[in-house]
Amino acid sequence: MSAAPPSIGVNGRPVALEEVPGDERLLDTLRWRLGLRGTKEGCRTGECGACTVLVNGEGRLSCLALAHELEGTEVTTVEALHQDPVGRAVQEAFAEEAALQCGYCTPGFVVALTGLLRGDGPPRPTPELLAALGGNLCRCTGYASIARAVERARTRLR
Amino acid sequence: MAAYVLVAPASESEALAELAAAPEGTIAVLAGGSDLLLDLEEGLRAPRRVVSLRRLPWRRHRWLSGGLEIGSTEPLADLEADPELAARCPALAQAIAAVGSPALRRQATVGGNLGRAAPASDLIPVLLALDAEVELVSGSGTRSLGLDRFLRASRVTALAPTELIRSVRCPEVRTRSAYLWQRVRPSNDISQIGVAVAWSPGERRWRVSLGGSPPRPVLAEDAAAELAGPNPGETELARASERLAAHPALVTDRRASDEHRRRLAGTLLDRAVRATMAPGRPAP
Ligand SMILES: Cc1cc2nc3c(=O)[nH]c(=O)nc-3n(C[C@H](O)[C@H](O)[C@H](O)COP(=O)(O)OP(=O)(O)OC[C@H]3O[C@@H](n4cnc5c(N)ncnc54)[C@H](O)[C@@H]3O)c2cc1C
Ligand code: FES
Ligand code: FES
Repeated sequence: MSAAPPSIGVNGRPVALEEVPGDERLLDTLRWRLGLRGTKEGCRTGECGACTVLVNGEGRLSCLALAHELEGTEVTTVEALHQDPVGRAVQEAFAEEAALQCGYCTPGFVVALTGLLRGDGPPRPTPELLAALGGNLCRCTGYASIARAVERARTRLR
Repeated sequence: MAAYVLVAPASESEALAELAAAPEGTIAVLAGGSDLLLDLEEGLRAPRRVVSLRRLPWRRHRWLSGGLEIGSTEPLADLEADPELAARCPALAQAIAAVGSPALRRQATVGGNLGRAAPASDLIPVLLALDAEVELVSGSGTRSLGLDRFLRASRVTALAPTELIRSVRCPEVRTRSAYLWQRVRPSNDISQIGVAVAWSPGERRWRVSLGGSPPRPVLAEDAAAELAGPNPGETELARASERLAAHPALVTDRRASDEHRRRLAGTLLDRAVRATMAPGRPAP
């Protein structure tokens, strides 16, 4: 009996973990091993949300997770977000509200918001969504345009 | 080359054997990693082996007759998702909601929070007010320690190098409980002060605790005694707040002055107790 080699799914493709060192963080696996540079490194200490990815559909901080710890899960990065109708709606809402300046925080925001809006049932009220995005920092926009994008995405998905 | 070897034992006995076999200081235990990975990156610890607990069957909680048992490796988000939590242990639900951000809480575990034993932990004050017991397991058996005895100092606990935290048990559901905190930003910031209150229907007395001030969260017996019965009036509330504001555990550090903490302690106690008496709350 031979067990299946350990892997994670990244944007629908299996990534074998055999080659990945045990101390490698998912953020580094994505950016440097797989070349998926859409996921950003802001603080590397869990405080800015720029590195947010979806793990089995829910927002997680890729800088605080070892790749091996996520064995057997499905990871979605900003590169594949448009394939999900919710992800696409969120990206459009950010574009329409011009909810960015330098754009460094944007992948984290759109991925995190997609995670919050996915699933069954009506979207949560905007103030709850904004509170749940409290772990995502933006140093440019002052958040007003981001709050409008959140409202727009929420309305569209209602 | 990897800085350390990561192993993920499939059973409790294998995990304990790893700890028993390693010379002291050469091994570290990994739950969610939200504290440990930062220590490793900063070089505060340099283990040769890291033992992940992810495969152990501890990622769940159970409501016991009257109480709650939380497996040490259950992520805070999973506990938070149980609608019973806010109804049966509101203070714990409030403390969990205060930790970091939703994404962080999918990683951070209860066992990791206790293992870290940070002075500003939001969970510890509440677990003190719920009289939680920490269940520890090693190759030579299990032992249970009251949380107050488990905590030694800032980031220091009674955990032996060969032991793991298996679960945390709250002996009694305390529906009349609340946790309030003060910090600069609501998300991803550290509490300057946290106040937990809980009425114990079994013992017919209040538990009050203080967090945020170094070296560790503490129970405040004096303030609790002032509250007396289940429905303290204005006089009792004022006396309890005064007592809490005078607590010697309130000191100055880089996050807040003792004066700031004293003002907040009294106010937060008053508000927290009132919150447990608000109309619509279950009778004590
Ligand atoms: C951005 C950010 C914001 C934060 N905000 C808050 C906050 O608001 N409030 C708060 O209270 N905390 C906060 N924290 C701290 C942290 O998230 C918590 O302490 C968390 O609960 C730790 O759990 P973990 O599973 O990630 O621990 P880990 O990092 O895996 O472990 C922490 C320590 O405990 C030990 N350990 C873990 N599990 C066990 C076990 N079962 N047996 C024995 N030892 C064990 C580890 O060896 C390590 O020493 C924050 C952290 C970050 C990075
Ligand atoms: S890079 Fe992960 S939270 Fe900042
Ligand atoms: S747009 Fe620059 S950090 Fe948000």
